[in-house]
Amino acid sequence: MQNNKKGIILQKLKESDAEWTNGQGPLSDIVISSRIRLARNIEGIPFPSRADQVELKNIFDLSQQVIEKSSLFKDYNLLLLDELTPLERQFLVEKHLISIYHALKKQVYRGCIFNQRETLSIMINEEDHFRIQYLLSGLQLNEIWKLINKIDDEIEKIVTYAFSGKEGYLTSCPTNVGTGMRASVMLHLPALAMVGGMNDILKAISKIGYVVRGFYGEGTEVMGNLFQVSNQITLGLSEEEIIDNLEKVNQQIISQEQKVRNDLLSNSKSQLEDQIWRAYGILSSARIISSVEAMELLSKLRFGVELGIISHPDLATLNKLMLLIQPAYLQMLAGKDLDPFTRDLQRAILIRNKISE
Amino acid sequence: MLCQICKKKEATIILTKVSEGQKTVIQLCQDCASMFNDKLSIFPIPEFNINDLLTGLLKAIDLYSKEEGVIPIKEVKCSNCHLTYDEFKQSGKLGCSVCYHDFREQLIPLLRRLHGNSEHVGKIPQRAKGKLNKIRKIKQLRKELQEVVSREEYEKAAKIRDEILKLEGALKKRNAK
Ligand SMILES: [Zn+2]
Ligand SMILES: [Zn+2]
Repeated sequence: MQNNKKGIILQKLKESDAEWTNGQGPLSDIVISSRIRLARNIEGIPFPSRADQVELKNIFDLSQQVIEKSSLFKDYNLLLLDELTPLERQFLVEKHLISIYHALKKQVYRGCIFNQRETLSIMINEEDHFRIQYLLSGLQLNEIWKLINKIDDEIEKIVTYAFSGKEGYLTSCPTNVGTGMRASVMLHLPALAMVGGMNDILKAISKIGYVVRGFYGEGTEVMGNLFQVSNQITLGLSEEEIIDNLEKVNQQIISQEQKVRNDLLSNSKSQLEDQIWRAYGILSSARIISSVEAMELLSKLRFGVELGIISHPDLATLNKLMLLIQPAYLQMLAGKDLDPFTRDLQRAILIRNKISE
Repeated sequence: MLCQICKKKEATIILTKVSEGQKTVIQLCQDCASMFNDKLSIFPIPEFNINDLLTGLLKAIDLYSKEEGVIPIKEVKCSNCHLTYDEFKQSGKLGCSVCYHDFREQLIPLLRRLHGNSEHVGKIPQRAKGKLNKIRKIKQLRKELQEVVSREEYEKAAKIRDEILKLEGALKKRNAK
């Protein structure tokens, strides 16, 4: 791949907004986005951790064939991560197109395929040969399953998946074997967090086979009251059952959050309004702001919009801001490396502009 | 816990920093954390929590099977990628699809612990669909064959036998490919 092609792809990516940030999906006052990812490996080639360079290249070439041969993948982009700088890779993480593990892993022929809408991405040679993920805004797991299932079938026309009648789709880690499917829902839970109700919920759902992760997935911390709930069991249940169960778990958390929101509104509306308007005040006038502080305040502002206390900015703007203010994104926008202090200055300007738009 | 920087205020933020494979955990108050900045905030713990969990589980199962009197064979090795079971226990990652076959005996208790189950019931890839359906069909025909033989309907039996042979031939061809 020539350098200028890579440059064009990244330039476009910088300017475009991912569709899942549009804030319009079902229950988008609490659910930011839904995601499904499928782990797939190619028959006859060792998993990436045990593959040699030639085998890793084979997999990468296969992924190229997939997007060239199928009309479903026209207009798709393919990036070879080896050619990207650490900053550019971190930018892809912040865009939710690749995992942190994929960005940091020291291995050749790591790739990433994605579409213009940024709804679909395929990680090549991550922990498994292919990791296909589909993202939409709001609670839309069933819709995503339909879409990703079709894509999976399409890829299979070109490659042969490692599969056994007993264990299903074979994956590098036995925690993913079977369906190879991890479904997750990103929730904004400021009310539950405010009254300290999260710990009980986390305990309860981990007992029944679900995990909660932070904004950037596995191994990342919760910020801005954003919690990602996903299934842990991948074997012995069908894809539909996994989705159905996960949706039920999320419905319960959502109704808890709604209940606490109503309680807060009827018992401490003035305090809530005060907190939300203070957040607005800081965000619209701060000159220096860290991403940690910005995420916390944006969560409060979002809460205000969700409750109807404040009408501007809209959810889409707030979703987009959460990505734009991340360190790598800021530096990509500036077109150069920025030291932390300069980032804090730039971030404050960006937020002020977006909020007063 | 007090903030590790100012040592005055209560630490409310835990930052995890990873550099050169070293993981450092820093506990800070809100003020010091904002000074510290975004450099640490999202970039996080690259190794998988789930893996710690998995390798822990593997050790537990080992102990358990010792108590049960089933002594695991130490030098089980994948015939294809030569990964040993011990290596798998260290990393939590299998080497290739044949590992699932060669370690099956050891993996079953693990899969049951992880998933409450050890058999796949979900999607079947298009390519395997034909094969799995053929296997199911052969099973069914064998049953029929027994029935017709017991009724002494030999002509029918011959037909069914031919059909089974045809399906098995197709399966063999498939496997040879
Ligand atoms: Zn401090
Ligand atoms: Zn193997």
